[in-house]
Amino acid sequence: MTAILETRDLVKEFGGLVATDHVNLTIEEGELVSLIGPNGAGKSTLINLITRMLEETEGEIFFEGDPITDLEPHEVVQRGIGKSFQTASIFPELTVEENANIASFGAEHGSFRFNFLKHRSSYPAVQQRTLDTLEAVGLRSQKDTTAADLPYGDKRRLEIGIALASEPALLLMDEPTAGMSPEETQSTVELIEDLQEEMDLTILLVEHDMEIVFSVSDRIAVLNRGSIIAEGPPDEVQGDPSVQEAYLGGVEL
Amino acid sequence: MSLVGELVVLLVNGLQTGAIYVLLAIGLSIILGTLKFVNFAHGALYVVGAYIGLLITQQISIANGQLAEWGFPTLGLGWGFIAALVIVPPIVFVVGLAMERFVARPFYDRPDTDQILVTFGLAIVVQELIHALIGPRSYTYDIPSEIAGGIPFSGPVGVPLSAVTIDVWRVWVIAITATLVIAVYAIVEYTDFGLVVKAGTRDPEMVRLLGIRITRPYLVMFGIGAGLAGVAGVVGAPLSNINPEIGMTILVPAFLTVVIGGVGSIRGAVLGGTLIGMVQVTLISLGTVSLGSLSINFTPWAQVGIYALAVVVLLTRPQGLLGSEEVTA
Amino acid sequence: MSDEVGSAAETEADSEPVDESPTLYERWRQIHDNESTVAALTILGVALAPFVLVTLPTQLGLPSEYSWYHNLLTLTLIWGIFALGYDLLLGFTGLLSFGHAIFWGTSAYAAGIFSANVTGSPLAMILVGTLTAVLMAWIIGWISLRRGGIYFAILTLAFGQMIYYIFLSPLGDITGGENGFTGVQVGSLFGVVDLGRAVPFVPEAFVDSWMYVFVGAAMILSVVVGYRILNSPYGAVLRAIRENEQRAEFVGLNVWRYKLMAFILSGAFAGLAGSLYVIQRSFVPIENTLNWTVSGDIVVITVLGGVGSLFGPVFGAGLYMYVANIVSGMPVIGEFWHMILGIVFIAVVATMPHGIWGRVDWLRDRVADAIGGDER
Repeated sequence: MTAILETRDLVKEFGGLVATDHVNLTIEEGELVSLIGPNGAGKSTLINLITRMLEETEGEIFFEGDPITDLEPHEVVQRGIGKSFQTASIFPELTVEENANIASFGAEHGSFRFNFLKHRSSYPAVQQRTLDTLEAVGLRSQKDTTAADLPYGDKRRLEIGIALASEPALLLMDEPTAGMSPEETQSTVELIEDLQEEMDLTILLVEHDMEIVFSVSDRIAVLNRGSIIAEGPPDEVQGDPSVQEAYLGGVEL
Repeated sequence: MSLVGELVVLLVNGLQTGAIYVLLAIGLSIILGTLKFVNFAHGALYVVGAYIGLLITQQISIANGQLAEWGFPTLGLGWGFIAALVIVPPIVFVVGLAMERFVARPFYDRPDTDQILVTFGLAIVVQELIHALIGPRSYTYDIPSEIAGGIPFSGPVGVPLSAVTIDVWRVWVIAITATLVIAVYAIVEYTDFGLVVKAGTRDPEMVRLLGIRITRPYLVMFGIGAGLAGVAGVVGAPLSNINPEIGMTILVPAFLTVVIGGVGSIRGAVLGGTLIGMVQVTLISLGTVSLGSLSINFTPWAQVGIYALAVVVLLTRPQGLLGSEEVTA
Repeated sequence: MSDEVGSAAETEADSEPVDESPTLYERWRQIHDNESTVAALTILGVALAPFVLVTLPTQLGLPSEYSWYHNLLTLTLIWGIFALGYDLLLGFTGLLSFGHAIFWGTSAYAAGIFSANVTGSPLAMILVGTLTAVLMAWIIGWISLRRGGIYFAILTLAFGQMIYYIFLSPLGDITGGENGFTGVQVGSLFGVVDLGRAVPFVPEAFVDSWMYVFVGAAMILSVVVGYRILNSPYGAVLRAIRENEQRAEFVGLNVWRYKLMAFILSGAFAGLAGSLYVIQRSFVPIENTLNWTVSGDIVVITVLGGVGSLFGPVFGAGLYMYVANIVSGMPVIGEFWHMILGIVFIAVVATMPHGIWGRVDWLRDRVADAIGGDER
C-alpha cells in the first residue's frame, strides 16, 4: 500500500494559540481513517489545512507524493481531494440536478474555461456524470426538486453527492451524520461503506459518534490539544490508556 | 512663509480634514465590526446633522425648494452656531436609534447585499427629501467671529520665522474630535458596556452563545455612531458648502478610513482618518513641483491620492493597518 | 416571459403526474424557453414599442406630456442593455458593484474621443468603447475582487470616485473636465446610413430614425448573448457562486476567476451601452457618465425591475426612464419623483427579491395555474 496523504510536522498557530502542533498523519490508499478528539483539539484546523482554506505556520502536506502547500483550495480539489461539509453545504435555490451538474462541470472541465457562449446541453459527458452521481446517492427521482425543499437527510446525501461528483481519490468527511435522525444516520453510514467499496475511495472521517467511528474505521487517529496522541486499529485505540485519560476523561467505552 | 510655518499649517489642515473622516468612520467601523452591518446611510446622518445645524444656527432663504412654495420662504431659528453644536448631536443620536430599530435591525439576518441596498435606498430618500423641500443649492454656515479668525503663529522660541496664520476653527475641530474620540474610546475600553461591544467585534457568535443580550449595546453603539456623524456634519460644514449630495460624497472617504484603519478598531479609524487627511492636504499644498524639465501639478491629484493610498493598503495589508486577521475556519 | 431557468412554479408542475396531452400553456412554456423564441420575442418587443408607447397613446388622446417619446425609448433601450449586463453580476453572481459608472463612463469617453480623433464610424466607436470598458473591468475587478462581500461594494464605489476625479481634473485637458467632452463627431453607419435620418418605407408611427433601429439591434444582440451566457456552463457556475461560494470552490471551480469573468462580461455590456449613449447624444457629459449617481441609478433600475431574470432589468430601465423624464414633470408628485422612487426601492428590497418583474411573473403563473386547473 502507498500513502495517499501525508502531513509532516504540520503546525498552525492563531496568534499565540497552537491549533495543530507538529502533526504527522499518513493515510494509505483505500483506507477509512477516522479523526477523533475533544472539541478544540484541532480537527477542523487540520481539515482546513489539508483543503488549503488555512495557510500553515510550518510543515508540509503531500498528496499522492506531491507537495500541495502552494495550491489554492480549488486546485486541491482538482488534484483529487473532495470534502463534504458538516452542514448541508448545497446550492439551495437550484434544483437537485443542477447541484450535481455544477459539481460535474468542475470535475470534467477543470477549474476554469472560456465557454460562456456554449449551451450546457452540448456537454454529454457532464450530463452523464450528473445522472450517475444522483444515482449513487439515490436522489435521481428527485432531480427536479429545488434543493432547499429536500428533507434534511436528503440535503446531506446531496451534499455528499456534490463531493463525489468531483471523483475524489480522497474524501474528507466532516461529521457527515451531525444533526441526523437515527434512521438517517444509519442510511448515511451504509452509504459511506458502499461508496468506499464501489468507488475505491479513501476516506478521512471526522465524527463525534463513537459507535459509527468504531464500526466503520480501518484506523483511528486521536487528536488532543493539537497533537496526535494515539493512532491505530479501533481495538488498539480503544484500549490505549492515554486516550481514555485525555479524551474520554477516564470513562469506559 | 518659512518651512516650519508651512508644515504647521499643513499639519493643522490635515488633522482637521482627517478629524471629519474619523468622526464618521468610528460609527461605521464599530457597526461593521460588531454587527457586520454595512451602513450606506451613514452619510445621510452627516447631512441630517449639517442641515439641522444650519437651521438652528441661522435663517436661510429657500430658493428652489417646495417649502418656499408652501409658504416658508425663509426658515431657521437663528440661535447661533454654539447652540447648534450642543443641540444637534442628541437629535442625530435619536435619529440613529430610530434607524437601528426600524431599518437596520430587520435586516441583520439578511444577506450583506440586502443591507447595503436598503441603506442605500434610505440614503436616496433622505437626500431627495432635502433636495425637494429645501432645494438643491449649497449653503454655508455663518460662524461667530470669535472662532472664525486666525491665530498668528510665530513658531517655537528661538526659531526665526515669519508668522503664518492658522484658522482657529480648524483647531477647534481637532480639539472637539479628539475629546469625543477619547470619550468613546474610554467607554469601549473601560466599561462593561464597552466590554460587550468589544467582545462582539471579536466574535459576535460567541457573545450570542454566552447568552448576553447584545441588542441594547448595539442600539446604543449605533446611536453613538450616528451622534458622531451628526457632530461631523456640524463641525465640518463651516469649512465646506453643504448641499443634499454631500452625504454620498463624504461616505466614500469615510469608508476608506475604515478600510485603511481596520474594521472595528477605533485606533484604526483615527490612524486611517489622519493618514487620508494628511495625504489629501499635502497633495493640495504641494501645488506644482518642478524637477528639471518635468513639472507636475499635484493639486488635481489630491482627491485621487486617497484612493491610491487605500488601494496600496488593501493590496499589502488586506485587514487594514490596525485590523486583526480574519479567521476563516 | 419567465426566463429564469427552473423556477419554483415550473418544478412544482413537473413533479405532478404529467397529463397525456399537455395544456396549451404548458406547451407554450416549453417552446418559450429556447433561444429563437427569446430572440423573436425581443425583436417583436423592440419593433412594437414605438407604436404601442408613443403613437398609440397620442392617438387615444393622452396628453403628449404624459406619453413616451422616441428619444426616450432609445435611451431606455440603452439603459436596458446596461441593466441587463449589470444583472449578470448582481442577480446571477450575487456581486453588488457600486462602480459601474466606470465602465459606462470610460467607454463613453473612449468612444467620444476616438470619434473626434480617428473616425466617427458608429461600429468603430462601439468597438473602442467596449474594449475600453473590458480593460477597465479587468483591472478594477482584479483588485476589488481580492476582498469579498461588503468590501467589494465599498471598493467599487471608491474606484468609481477615483476615476471620476481623474477624468474631472488631472485629465481635464483631454476630457473637457466639468464641461464634458464636446467634440464628438458621429459619422454614418457603413459610410452611408445617417443615424439621425428617418428609415425609408417605414412609417414614422413605427420607427422614427435609424438610431432606433441601430440601438434596437444592439438590444436584441444583447438579449441573445445574455441568454446564451445564462444557459452556458457559466450560467450554472455563476448561480452556484451566488448560492454558496465556498461550495463552488470545493467542487474544484476557480471561483475568483469566474467572478472576474462575470465582472468583465458585465463591464462589456456597460461599455456597449455607454458607447451607444454617446452615439445618441453626440456629447459626453461627465455628470451623466462617471458620477457615482450613474452607479446608483443602475443599481436602482436593476433591483426595481428585478434581479435574476433577463427582462426584469430592461423593464426596470423603462420604469426608471419614464419616472425620471415624464413623471418628474407632473404637478405635485413631480418634485418628489426621486424620493418616491427611493421609497419604492426600499419596499422592493424588503419584500420582493425578484423585483417588480418577478411579481408580475409570479402573478401570471398563478393565473395560468388557475386556468390550467379548470381545464382538467
